[in-house]
Amino acid sequence: MVSESRGNIVFNVLTTLWTRYRLQTTVFTIFCGLWLIFYAISPSSFARPFTYTAILSVAPFTIIPALSLTYVIITGEMDLSFPSIMALGAWVLTVTWHAFGPTPLGLILALLAGLMAGFINGVLVTKCHIPSLIATIGTMFVWRGFVLIATGGFSISIGMWRGTPIYQALVGRFGGIPIQIVWAVVIAVILWIFLNLHKFGAHVYYTGDNRVAAQMLGINTDRVIITVFMIHGMLSAFAGVLVALEMGSFWPALGEIYLLESIAAVVVGGTPITGGTGTIFGTFIGGLILKWIETGILAVGVTGFWIKLVYGLVIIIALIAQVIIRKREIRRMKIIGA
Amino acid sequence: MVRESEYLVFTKNLVKRFGDVVALKGVNFRVGYNEVVGLVGDNGAGKSTLAKILAGIYVPDEGEIYVKGQRFRRLTPQKARELGIELVHQERTLAEDHPIWRNIFMGREITGPLGFLRIKEMKAAAEKLLNEIGLKAIPPDTPVKFLSGGYKQGVQIARAVQFEADLVILDEPTIQLSISEVHRVLEYVHGLKKRGKSCVFITHNIYHVYPVADRFVIIDRGKIVAEFRKVDVTPEDLTHILVSIARTGTIPEKYEKINLLNVAGSN
Repeated sequence: MVSESRGNIVFNVLTTLWTRYRLQTTVFTIFCGLWLIFYAISPSSFARPFTYTAILSVAPFTIIPALSLTYVIITGEMDLSFPSIMALGAWVLTVTWHAFGPTPLGLILALLAGLMAGFINGVLVTKCHIPSLIATIGTMFVWRGFVLIATGGFSISIGMWRGTPIYQALVGRFGGIPIQIVWAVVIAVILWIFLNLHKFGAHVYYTGDNRVAAQMLGINTDRVIITVFMIHGMLSAFAGVLVALEMGSFWPALGEIYLLESIAAVVVGGTPITGGTGTIFGTFIGGLILKWIETGILAVGVTGFWIKLVYGLVIIIALIAQVIIRKREIRRMKIIGA
Repeated sequence: MVRESEYLVFTKNLVKRFGDVVALKGVNFRVGYNEVVGLVGDNGAGKSTLAKILAGIYVPDEGEIYVKGQRFRRLTPQKARELGIELVHQERTLAEDHPIWRNIFMGREITGPLGFLRIKEMKAAAEKLLNEIGLKAIPPDTPVKFLSGGYKQGVQIARAVQFEADLVILDEPTIQLSISEVHRVLEYVHGLKKRGKSCVFITHNIYHVYPVADRFVIIDRGKIVAEFRKVDVTPEDLTHILVSIARTGTIPEKYEKINLLNVAGSN
């Protein structure tokens, strides 16, 4: 009797989740499905906490830029320059620390560099009217070129400061848990709150959904877009800093691998590339899915060459599922008043 | 002598140029309190230009605008709204993927401290509003993309009503709507009038505006060429006049007597 009513409650919660958050539930189901598959194939590695700490120590590097990229994509824009901004931020921190030691100043300057890079992107898009895809290809090369020239193409070590308080606060371990995943969660929560509960988030959505209407109703869409690029620039720089600290070194190609991964995390998470809608939760899980695959495949014991293939398949399957869900939603909801 | 303060909105000699094109050539337009004005004319006559000047979107090159007796050289969208003028655009100003309540408050969200949204308050207000203008039984959570064209127009009108507009300008509100939906929009206009509001209904379809308007203003190539009281003309008369203007640029002789522009003291 008791178990039956409890079963009912679970059922009700599940149906509510499904009807309200169809897309998010799908993404989450894919995530759980993958975990089950990996667990079934290789229980030994997926029963070990080490596997999870390994995933959680690298996942933030994909997830953090993907979270702020979600904002950019919701406004209907794109940013391809963030991997270079990651390198820029990491370089600024590295250079500052080598000059002044491991102080918060390095982090502050890195974040400011990211803000500035994002501001430039935003201005190019809104005031110079360059399509964001093109504008950010330009700045992508500019910032990558800049760090290459500045370092002469050499890596710079910062691993000697491992153990200092600021180092520990950014990429240390707390009870085995990598601190960087805590940062990712904190950032996700803040971005979620602003997107869903704040006026700014509403304007981000309207800017992507119907920019002309938003402008006619008095929303300064240029300012929204510039702000979104600045947030993205700052968080990309932060992610770059985390990468450098985790690896113990800055290198000029830092960030490059995250370009397509982070974009994939956003779209796998259910944000359409055309903007107007999208969720932070989806992106977070989307990022985890991609990292799950990577780690899962290695843990299962097949060669790493499989990673890309499975990546591609999962991205395609996730997108097909989303298309089906959206179509069915439209078919089920008859037009009211027609 | 006409006193500007007798009218809700009154314009004097409005001129608007776009490069070499003169869109408005000295327009004197007025809207009374609690009056529905049908602003009719062919495509490109200057209807939307006039509407956008009144809503503060365009800046006139010459002329003056009086709102409730206050004189202005130009309005901004913010100023126009403060004065109670709301333009329901010809273009859909809706975020289709978002719910009705968000659309009603788009750009003017009710916020608490630090700019956080008061979602419950907005939903409740939206629900009340939808009931009032006859969109009953539609949950305010419904995404706008699931509404028909007439209901979408209704949401835009609800938005104007929410912000206590005294004058709602509807720019071609019935374009691309089915017959029953046109009917629905006309009901919204009736609702506005009942609430003591004024309305400018812009269209080139006489039959859409005739049932709701008190007065008809005909604009042609940037000039107001005729004005008629509803009691003086039938829809057929108006059609006849519009066709004549389109063909010859003049109004048939027999209507000149009732053209308010010719009646002493009315303009």
